[in-house]
Amino acid sequence: MEAYLAAIAAIALIYVLLSLGLTLHYGLTGLINFGHVGFFCIGAYAAAILSTTGGMPIVVGFVAAAVLAGLAAWPIGLVSLRLRDDYFAIVTLGFSETVRLVVTSERWLTNGVQGIPGIPRLFEGLGVGMPSALAILGVLLAVNAAAVWLFFRLVKSPFGRMIEAIRDNEEAVRALGKDPARFKIRVLMLGAALAGIAGAFYAHYIGYIVPDQFIPLVTFYVWMAIIMGGVGRISGAIVGSLLLMLFLEGSRFLRDVVPFISAVDMASVRIGAVGLALVLFTLYRPQGLMGDYTRR
Amino acid sequence: MVFWIELLIAGLVSGLVIGLVALSITLVFGIARFPNAATGDTMTLGAYGALAGHAATGSMLIGGAIGALGGAAVGLAAYALVFRRLSNRSTVALLVASIGIGFIIRAGLSLAFGHTQQVFQVPLVRPWRFQGVRIHPNDLRLAATAIASLAVVFATLYLTPIGRRMRAVADDPALARVSGISPVRVMVALWLLAGAVAAVAGVILGLRTVVSPEMGWEMLLPGFAAAILGGIGNPAGAVVAGLIIGIAQEMATPVVGFTYKIALSFVVMLVVLLVRPRGLFGRVEGVR
Amino acid sequence: MTTMNRRTLLGGVGGALALTAVPVSVNAQAATFRIGALNPVTGAGSPYGSGMQKMILAAVEEVNAAGGAGGRRIEVFAEDSQTSPQAAVLAAKKLIEVNNVRAIVGTWSSGVSLAVVPLTNDANILLLNTSGAPALSVPPANAKGLSYRFQATNDRFGRAFAEIATREGFKRAATMAFNNASGIGNTNGFKRAWEAKGNRVVAEVVYEPNQPSYRAELQRVLAARPDVIVMGSFLPDTTIILREWFQSGENTRWIIPGWAANPQLIQALGAQVTEGIISVDSVSNERAPSFAHFDQVHRRAMNQPGASNVYAAMTWDMVITLALAMEAAGPNADMAAINAKMREVANPPGEEVYTFAAGKAALAAGRAINYQGASSVLDFDQFGDVTPDFGVFFITKGQLERRYVVSI
Repeated sequence: MEAYLAAIAAIALIYVLLSLGLTLHYGLTGLINFGHVGFFCIGAYAAAILSTTGGMPIVVGFVAAAVLAGLAAWPIGLVSLRLRDDYFAIVTLGFSETVRLVVTSERWLTNGVQGIPGIPRLFEGLGVGMPSALAILGVLLAVNAAAVWLFFRLVKSPFGRMIEAIRDNEEAVRALGKDPARFKIRVLMLGAALAGIAGAFYAHYIGYIVPDQFIPLVTFYVWMAIIMGGVGRISGAIVGSLLLMLFLEGSRFLRDVVPFISAVDMASVRIGAVGLALVLFTLYRPQGLMGDYTRR
Repeated sequence: MVFWIELLIAGLVSGLVIGLVALSITLVFGIARFPNAATGDTMTLGAYGALAGHAATGSMLIGGAIGALGGAAVGLAAYALVFRRLSNRSTVALLVASIGIGFIIRAGLSLAFGHTQQVFQVPLVRPWRFQGVRIHPNDLRLAATAIASLAVVFATLYLTPIGRRMRAVADDPALARVSGISPVRVMVALWLLAGAVAAVAGVILGLRTVVSPEMGWEMLLPGFAAAILGGIGNPAGAVVAGLIIGIAQEMATPVVGFTYKIALSFVVMLVVLLVRPRGLFGRVEGVR
Repeated sequence: MTTMNRRTLLGGVGGALALTAVPVSVNAQAATFRIGALNPVTGAGSPYGSGMQKMILAAVEEVNAAGGAGGRRIEVFAEDSQTSPQAAVLAAKKLIEVNNVRAIVGTWSSGVSLAVVPLTNDANILLLNTSGAPALSVPPANAKGLSYRFQATNDRFGRAFAEIATREGFKRAATMAFNNASGIGNTNGFKRAWEAKGNRVVAEVVYEPNQPSYRAELQRVLAARPDVIVMGSFLPDTTIILREWFQSGENTRWIIPGWAANPQLIQALGAQVTEGIISVDSVSNERAPSFAHFDQVHRRAMNQPGASNVYAAMTWDMVITLALAMEAAGPNADMAAINAKMREVANPPGEEVYTFAAGKAALAAGRAINYQGASSVLDFDQFGDVTPDFGVFFITKGQLERRYVVSI
C-alpha cells in the first residue's frame, strides 16, 4: 500500500510541476498554452536519450531537459507576440502535435515508435522498495518547493509586477515605455523549462517512453487541474493536481467497490467527468476552488 | 502524371470534408467569437446518428438527415445550456467549456455504442477509368453530398433574412444590436447550422472510413487550420482553404513522407498567421 | 504491515515461514491466490481488452469450480491498462501493493508490458503477456525469467509471412505497416526473411493511424506494381485501406495478420472485397478440445466466436497454465516454486491435457502433463516465448478457410 501511495504521490508531484509551469503561462501572463505536453515530451526525451545512449549522468539529463524545453519555447514566444490569444492556443496545440510527430519519425535519435526502454531509475543504488521511493519523493518535493519559491520570488520582483501588469493591461505597460514582449517570452521559457524537468522525472520514473504517451490529453489534464484549483494561484495548481490524481486513480477503487461498472464504461465515464468538470467549473466557479487570482 | 492526378482527386475529396469542418468552425468563430473545440465530437455524433438511422430505415438519405438533425440538436443544446451563459466571458472560458462539451459528447457516444469500430453497410464498387485515371463512384456521391450541403448553407447565409442578420452580427455585433437584430435568434440559427454542418462532415467521413468515438477529434486541427487559412469568419474562405489543405496533404506526401503530412496543416496555419493573419480571404483582425 | 508480510514471503523464505509470519488473516490468505488482470479495455487495444478480461474471469471460475489450484481459490482483480504505459504502471503498482497479486495477466502492447515488467520483476511475481516486441525476451526485461509471452513475437509473424509468400509463388512483395512497434515488427521480420530468400521488397510504406484517408499511402505501394502486399496492421486501418484498395480497382493479393483480417473485417467489408485475402494467425489450436471448450465459453460470454479474439484465447490459456503450475507445485507453494513448474506443465513430455480439470486429475494420479492450449500448443522456449505454428487462412465467400499450416 505504501509503495502504491508513493507511486501516486510521485505522479501527482510531476503533475504539480506541470501545473506550476502552466500557471506561470496562463495564470500570470494570460498565455493560453495548449501545447504544454510538447515541452514535457522534449524534457522526457532529452533525459532519456542522454542517460541511455548518451551514457551521461542523470543530472546532465535533467539540466538538458530544462534547457532544451526552455529553448523550444523561445520561437513559440516570438510567435505569441503577434497572435491573438485564441490563435495562440491553436498554434501551441499544433506545436505539441508536431513535437510528437518528430519524435515518432526521427528514429535515429528517438528509436521512433519502438520507444526508449531501460531508462535508469532514480536512486537505483538504494535498491527497490521504500528507501528509493522515498528518496525520489524527497527530490520531487524539493524541486517543487524550489519551483514555488522561484514563483514567489518572481511574483514579488519588479519582473513579476510587470508580468501582472501585462496581463491586466498590456497597453498601459507599453505606454510606460516597457516592452512586454521580452517579459512574456521569458515567462514562457521558464514555464516550459519546468515542464521539461517534469518530463525528465517522468522518463526516469516510468523507465520507458514512447511517443504515444505525449498526446494532447495530457495538456488538458493539466488545464483541468489548474481550472479546478484556481487559475493563477500556486495553491490552486497544487490542490488541482492532487484532485486530478484522486480523480484518475480513485476510479480504480470505485470499480473494486462497485464491480458492475465495466472497465469500458469506466473509461467513458472518466472522460465524461473530465468534460463535465471543465464545463461546470467554467460556468459556476471560474475562480477555482482556491479563489480568485486577483486576491492572492 | 496519372499518379498526381489521382492524388489531386483524393485530396479534393478529403478537402471537402475538411472544408465542411472549417465552415462550421468559422461560422461559430465569426459570430459567437470563439474557437469551438466541440466541433470534432459533433461530427462523430452525426456519424453515429446516421449509422443508427441507416440501420433502422435502410435509407442512407434518411440516415444522413437524422445525423444532421442530431448535430443541429447538440449544437443548440450546447448553446442553450452552456455557451449562452458564458457570452460575457473571455474567449478562453468559452474555449475550455467547448472542450468539456466535446469530452461529454464522446463519453456519451462510447457509452451508448462502445469503442469498437462500426461501418456503414454500403456497397463498394470498382472505379471508372478515364485515360487511366481512376474515378471512384462513391467519391463522386460524397462530393455531391458535400457540395449540396455547402449550397444549402450558403443559400441560408446569403438569401434568407436570418442569414443576413447572422452576417450583420459577424460584421459588427454592436451595430447589429442597435439595428434591432435579436442576438438570441441569430445565435439559435447559428448553432443549428454549425451543428448540422459538422454532423454532415462526420457522416461523409464515416462513409469513407470507419465510425469510432475518436474519429472527429482527429479532424479538429486540420479544421482549425483551414478556418484560419481561409480567414476567420469567412465561410467561402474556409471551404477553399479546406480544399487547399486537403490537396496539399495528399500531394506533399511523396515529398515529406507519411508521418509529416499530418504536420503540414500546422505549418500552413503558422505561416499564414505570421505572414498574413487575415487569412487568404479574411477580414477579421488576427493581430492585436 | 501487509507489505512486510509479502516481502518476507517473497524473500525466498517460503510458505512455511509465511504461515507463521501472517497471524491474522492466515486462512483467507492461504486459501486464495490473487492475480491481477491488466488488460487494454480502452485505448488502442480496446477491440480485444474486454474479451481478454472476461476470459480471465471465466477461466478462473472454471479453475475454482474444479476445486481450485494447489488447494487455493484464485481471486481476480481486474484493471484497465488504457493501453497506456503510465496508466498501466499505476495500475500494476496498485495490483501489486494494494491487492497483493502474485501474477499479472494479459498485458497487451509492448509499451505496456515493457513498462510493467520492471515492477513485476522487483516484486518477484509473474507477468504473462501478449506482446510482440523482441526486447521482452531478454534481460533486462526478462532478467529473472518471470515473464512469459503467449503470443508469437512480431518477428516470428514476419518469418511466417515470408514462408507463405514463397509458397504462394509471389515475386513482387510490398509492405504496409502501422507506425507502432508491432506493425513495424511484422513487416521488418518479413523483410529480413524475404530478402534472406533472395527476394526484394518492391515498396515499403509506414503509415500514421487515424487518417481520414490512406489513398496516398496506397498509391505509393500500388505504383510499384506488387503482386502481394504484406501488412503489419490493425482492424480499423485495415478496414479503411482495403476499402480504398477495392475502389481503386487493382487486383493485388494481401497477407494480413489474423488480428486484423478477422470475422469483423469480413463483416465490415463484405465477401466480395475480402475474397482471397490471406489471413495468418498463430494456430489457435482449433482441432484441440481446449479450443472448442474455450470457443463455447467465449460465445456465451461475448456472443461472438472464439476465433474473433486471439488474445482472449491467450489470456484463457494464461490462467489455465498458471493454475496447473500451482497445482503441480503443491499447496502453499511460493512464486519461485510455481514459476519452476510453468514449463513442466506446458511443454512435452507428458500426457496431453486440454482442460484444467483433466490436468489436475492427471497430476493427482502422478502423471506428467503437457497442456495443449486454446491459443497454441503452448511450449515455452528458454526465453519464455512460444513458437506456435501459423495457420494460413484464405477468405473465401466471406468465410475464413484454413488451407494449411506453416512451421518456422
